[in-house]
Amino acid sequence: MLSKYYSSLGAIFVIIFIFVTLPFVYNNQSFLFNMMMYLALAEGLNIIYGFTGYLPFGYVGFFGAGAYGASIVIMFLRISPFLAVLAGGIAAVIIGIILFPLLRLSGAYFAIANLAASQALYYLVANPNLQKITQGPYGIDLSSVYNANASYYLMLGVLVFSMLLVLYMRKTDFGLSLLAIKEDRVTAALAGINIVKTRSIAWMLSAFVAGLCGAVFAWFTAVFYPSTVFNLNVSVFTIVFVLFGGMGTIVGPLLGTLILYSMYNFIGISTPEYFQLFYGLLIMILVLFLPNGVVSILQHWRIDVP
Amino acid sequence: MSHSEDVLLRVDGLVKKFGELKALNGFSITVGKGKIVGLAGPNGSGKTTVINVISGIYKPDVGSIEFDGKSIYRLPSHKIVHRGINRTFQVPKPLAGLTVLQNISIAAIYGSQAGNKTETVKEALEIVGLEDAKDTLAANLTLAQQKLLGLARALATKPKMLLVDEIAAGLSSQELQWIADMLIHIHKSGISMIVVEHLMGFIDSLTSDVVVMNAGANLFRGSIEDASRNEEVIEVFLGR
Ligand SMILES: Nc1ncnc2c1ncn2[C@@H]1O[C@H](COP(=O)(O)OP(=O)(O)O)[C@@H](O)[C@H]1O
Ligand SMILES: [Mg+2]
Repeated sequence: MLSKYYSSLGAIFVIIFIFVTLPFVYNNQSFLFNMMMYLALAEGLNIIYGFTGYLPFGYVGFFGAGAYGASIVIMFLRISPFLAVLAGGIAAVIIGIILFPLLRLSGAYFAIANLAASQALYYLVANPNLQKITQGPYGIDLSSVYNANASYYLMLGVLVFSMLLVLYMRKTDFGLSLLAIKEDRVTAALAGINIVKTRSIAWMLSAFVAGLCGAVFAWFTAVFYPSTVFNLNVSVFTIVFVLFGGMGTIVGPLLGTLILYSMYNFIGISTPEYFQLFYGLLIMILVLFLPNGVVSILQHWRIDVP
Repeated sequence: MSHSEDVLLRVDGLVKKFGELKALNGFSITVGKGKIVGLAGPNGSGKTTVINVISGIYKPDVGSIEFDGKSIYRLPSHKIVHRGINRTFQVPKPLAGLTVLQNISIAAIYGSQAGNKTETVKEALEIVGLEDAKDTLAANLTLAQQKLLGLARALATKPKMLLVDEIAAGLSSQELQWIADMLIHIHKSGISMIVVEHLMGFIDSLTSDVVVMNAGANLFRGSIEDASRNEEVIEVFLGR
């Protein structure tokens, strides 16, 4: 019975092994942290995009909500950052619940409305009138609780959690019901699936993962501005990684992120303009010619991708 | 049919507008427990809309729909399915990227509380004869097979009533006979039906009780024999 989980659990153990051992041989902790963060974000986006087809261009909104949710709780309640990270995840879920009506929109309308919502949240948080709560445009300072190693391993925990979530979705009736909705809403409803409830759960899970990521990022970075955690690049990168790797699987988003985020770091940072051009072109090419990503090539060779 | 306990479905005065167009204009129908009623009418008369409204795909504007003594008016589709109604589509709507088995399993899992799911799926596969295609992607099935898959999905939700929309259209006469026999077999297992068909011949092989509609309203109800002699019926079918 457990054998159907072997390949997926194998992939998860490889990831854990990489991020536990790599710091001993490669001391760019910030790069490794960001890599884990994007891996987790990619799996989180995979939950809503890969399993329901909703493309959340405003995914960064949940990330920012998590970062600010956790920071505010740390500043005002002085609770442990571990608990604060959970609060960040919950803050993102609350934003997700507020945005439930967007799920009635389809295709490009959803993507654009979600993008607009994330920007609205950005301006709200950065608003000087809210300075007492969010510090407005002046940013957050968590240096009193800064702990690079603890936040590094917490990020690994969030990453493992996100992979387990996708594993759960791939192996259970719940995941199958989401795929059914993605294929054909009417047919899914006539199979007895409560569409509104099912996709709302996927939406909240996806938001939760992004919120956790934002929260751990806030702790790891310690000092940041609204423009840091509501940066649209977070959405764009995550979407490109998932598209490139292949959505709906566990391994696809991992592959996409490992390859493209490494490339970004080793070539992109020195020449950012060219890199954005490259990403833009890549999105177009992928959507047109390889909509199911790199893993679809493997699947074409009849390799079973977990 | 006058005793309400014998009535399974009672639809009264349905109105469904699409913009200016009244696709249904006060349509009514009752179906007795264990009965098959044919629903005929020219193209565009509103037959598919009747099924879409009863199965919750479209919300009606006016009217009432009672099933098994309780109102299902304006309920969402999945709740109507749970009450015991399912349907097939004139143009099949498979879950194309899923296998035949997954298509049917999902209906068995989410469509009914009752029974052993594995048994239900196996039964549905057997009835429509898709056992050998169970691992095929639904996208790769022929039109006739996709229609059968639609029927199997509906059956897997263990309905008390099945709404069958032009299942014969586009099939060979051999397939037609086969599907007619299949529906009779399904009916014998205790499932009531509304069978929508453009062709009276197919309805005739299932039931003699037929409702004829035109322009979203009722035109006739009675035996097929009487329908074929009814002047209004003859006129809408020939004068189209
Ligand atoms: N979704 C829709 N939007 C607009 N008009 C529709 C829609 N569905 C059906 N109609 C119209 O309603 C009328 C009845 O259609 P339909 O129920 O499909 O007829 P039938 O199944 O008897 O051929 C037609 O005029 C059709 O064009
Ligand atoms: Mg029709």
